[in-house]
Amino acid sequence: MAAARGQKRERWRPPRGRHRLPPEVIARSQRERLLEAAVRVVAEKGYAATTVADLTREAGISRTTFYAMFDDKEGCFLAAYDGIADALVRRVSAAYEAEEGWPSRARAGLAELLEALADEPDIARLAIVDVGAAGPAAQRRYRAVLQRLTPLFDEGRDFAPGGRGLPANTSRMAIGAVAGLISDEVTEGRAEYLPSLLSEVLFATLVPYIGPAAAAREVGEKK
Amino acid sequence: MASESRRDLILAAMIRVVGSKGYKETSVADVIEEAGTSRTTFYKHFEDKHECFLAAYEMLVEQVFAEVVAECDGAQSWLQRVESGLATIVRLFALDPELARTAVVEVAAAGADARQLHWNAVARFTQYLEGGRELSDGRELPENISLMSAGAVSGLIFDELLGGRAAQLPAMLPDLLFAMLVPYIGPRAAAEEMRRVAAAS
Repeated sequence: MAAARGQKRERWRPPRGRHRLPPEVIARSQRERLLEAAVRVVAEKGYAATTVADLTREAGISRTTFYAMFDDKEGCFLAAYDGIADALVRRVSAAYEAEEGWPSRARAGLAELLEALADEPDIARLAIVDVGAAGPAAQRRYRAVLQRLTPLFDEGRDFAPGGRGLPANTSRMAIGAVAGLISDEVTEGRAEYLPSLLSEVLFATLVPYIGPAAAAREVGEKK
Repeated sequence: MASESRRDLILAAMIRVVGSKGYKETSVADVIEEAGTSRTTFYKHFEDKHECFLAAYEMLVEQVFAEVVAECDGAQSWLQRVESGLATIVRLFALDPELARTAVVEVAAAGADARQLHWNAVARFTQYLEGGRELSDGRELPENISLMSAGAVSGLIFDELLGGRAAQLPAMLPDLLFAMLVPYIGPRAAAEEMRRVAAAS
């Protein structure tokens, strides 16, 4: 459930003071709080303006605790990014695999992708927009996530007549087209409208494999 | 030296330095040194690094677009225009990797307004080349077709530049052409164009 801006999510925290809980449990909880805090703060202020002090305050941890986990704000951001990327890819892959036949599988995966991002606009912003400001390591992470979604698209090579003769980069083109559509919406602050893009992202995915007429038919079929 | 051309020197220097050091690492001192001018002159024209970068980026976009239009002006057909336009971009980027890096990669680090300039430029470029709606035979194509082509082409270019492979861009022209044409004319016809361009190089 998306938290409203400025409101902390209700979440169990260990009681303050000396703990009876094992250190690993505390550390895990603190790390999770910190990564969640990073998403909220960066979404609000942008990466450049975010400071370690902002992060520790939002997470309710000390500076010492922060620096025991990460070298700097970039390290924290990258860890948050990796967590988001893994969760997203898992969700999309599961939806994809639950269907039979390529256009249906692609549709299911894309629908799940749009829902997941629309559910969490802060995460969508961080994953797509703020990543550019966070340096080359972050930008490579972004490209790597796109790469992990390649199977959604590549199956088109087997499905399409003559698909084997298509350029090797076709899946990257389709991914780029979808990313462009999504990125446009998220940058405009309209992440919650992403599910309404399903027809367009599906068209963009199918068209390099089966052409505009077949893609338009496929998209129009099950609205 | 006239004030206008001092300003242009600073803008050109900003593109150079950002293209080689990255936006974050670039300082006003770096830009001044590259331009061979003074702090006083810099601050006469610009409030800060960010404002200078935005102005430099706008200048860069106009320069690139002017080259594209010049090359495409004689084009006989829509297909030729797309090919000329893409060929111009990859040639410019391969000849000037710093300009390419600034234009495509570093702009993302320069804030929301810079990203908007970039996206506007990409949209402008693809819309200029678009004209392809005539080929749709009256079929209902999605509104955002040019956004799709824009995303496909800029994604491929971005990856090469992120990897420091500006010199490889001309070799990608066949793929870029395929990416741009396929939503309009389908994979078979787009692949034919792609093979023709690959054979000609």
